Amino acid sequence: MTRVWFGLAAIAAVAVAGGFAVAEAQTGAAQQAAQQIAQRQDLMKANGRAMRTLTPIVRGEAAWNQQAAVQAATTLHNAARQIPASFPEGTGPNAGKTDALPSIWQNWADFQAKAKALETESAKLLELAKAGDEAGFKAQFPTVARTCGGCHENFRAKKN
Amino acid sequence: MRPQRFWWTFAAASVLAFAACTLPAAAQSPDHEAVRRGEYLFNAGGCFGCHTDVKGGGPPLAGGRPLHTPFGTFYGPNITPDPDHGIGRWTEADFIRAMRQGIRPDGAHYYPVFPYTSFTGMTDGDLRDLWAYLRSVPPVARPNRAHEVRFPFSLRPLLTVWKWLNFTPGPFSLDDTQPPDVNRGAYLVRAVAHCGECHTPRDALGGPDSSRLLAGTSDGPDGERVPNITPHPETGIGAWSTADLLDVLKLGMTPDGDFVGGSMGEVVRNTTSKLSDDDLRAVVAYLKSLPPVENRVARRQRTQE
Repeated sequence: MTRVWFGLAAIAAVAVAGGFAVAEAQTGAAQQAAQQIAQRQDLMKANGRAMRTLTPIVRGEAAWNQQAAVQAATTLHNAARQIPASFPEGTGPNAGKTDALPSIWQNWADFQAKAKALETESAKLLELAKAGDEAGFKAQFPTVARTCGGCHENFRAKKN
Repeated sequence: MRPQRFWWTFAAASVLAFAACTLPAAAQSPDHEAVRRGEYLFNAGGCFGCHTDVKGGGPPLAGGRPLHTPFGTFYGPNITPDPDHGIGRWTEADFIRAMRQGIRPDGAHYYPVFPYTSFTGMTDGDLRDLWAYLRSVPPVARPNRAHEVRFPFSLRPLLTVWKWLNFTPGPFSLDDTQPPDVNRGAYLVRAVAHCGECHTPRDALGGPDSSRLLAGTSDGPDGERVPNITPHPETGIGAWSTADLLDVLKLGMTPDGDFVGGSMGEVVRNTTSKLSDDDLRAVVAYLKSLPPVENRVARRQRTQE
């Protein structure tokens, strides 16, 4: 009889330990998702700052500033390269507070293509900035901007 | 004298050949011009958006795009010249009556989800040009999908009452006291581009609240929050410069360096980014001339919270 109790206790212990492990893993995954969301939000905020730096320059409200242009274009280009990896599956609205829409993972190829478009167009912008080609830079800016909007249209929840 | 005769013959032949090439083109050109102007109006009117099922991979203007509203789900119909599924059997008069009076060729009323309440203000010339363009697109034999409208709104004859309450047919009247660009902007915003269909709040029966023109709503189409675009400094666009407004219309970029998404992203792609600079400046001039309405559009709760 004692053997039965030992057996049951052992099973219970294993079950409880297993439960903890699963819970642990779940918390770990949730934490990882939250971290991923926070990281990519920082990435997007940096993009927003870069656009705010460039806008007055492109409009001619501020003087041409090559250093600022190179810096902002670098930010945009680096962010573009990190976009696909910043949106692993399981980091959508079910995983935390994010405006990333489930349509990202339902249309992954399109999402990737749009990230690639930003990578290509921001690379051109960066080259023009480095070359000090003010007119070329200002002409390329709207193309880059439309690439941002192209992705937000279907993949980011409308701002609340 | 022979060479001279040769040159005369050659010259005459050239003239004939030239005439043969240009005459048909000259005969076609007014039509071609109408189609070109119609295409611009088609973009300005954003027709593509509701009449194309982009997400379902549907062909242009063949219909099927769902629009979720408090009254039910509506599906944009096929407006290609297909005789059975599109508007191939329509006459120009049918089209103008639909746009101006919201009446189908068979005499039934359209739901105001088709914004004839705005299109009614379009000029005859613009409607004819738009019709010319719609005749020029490739026909697509794609059947229409029936609207899923909640009772009692599903009773189409009730639309007579709705129209009596909310609809004033007739061309847009210009305000003589305003400069031409403001009037042009008013025509674009209120008639062609029908901005108020989303940006003006509605009453319980879906009638636009004309006292709060373009003042935004938290209950827009597809449940979206639609911002106040009157020049109120805190709750509208009063703090936005002309350059800020041009950037959002051309690029979708807001002054904080962010980009509009959802249906305004679609509007920027289909419509505002395709307008001429003069027209965009007119739109901005009109918006800035509006009476500011204080209306803070409530932030919706995120569904996952």
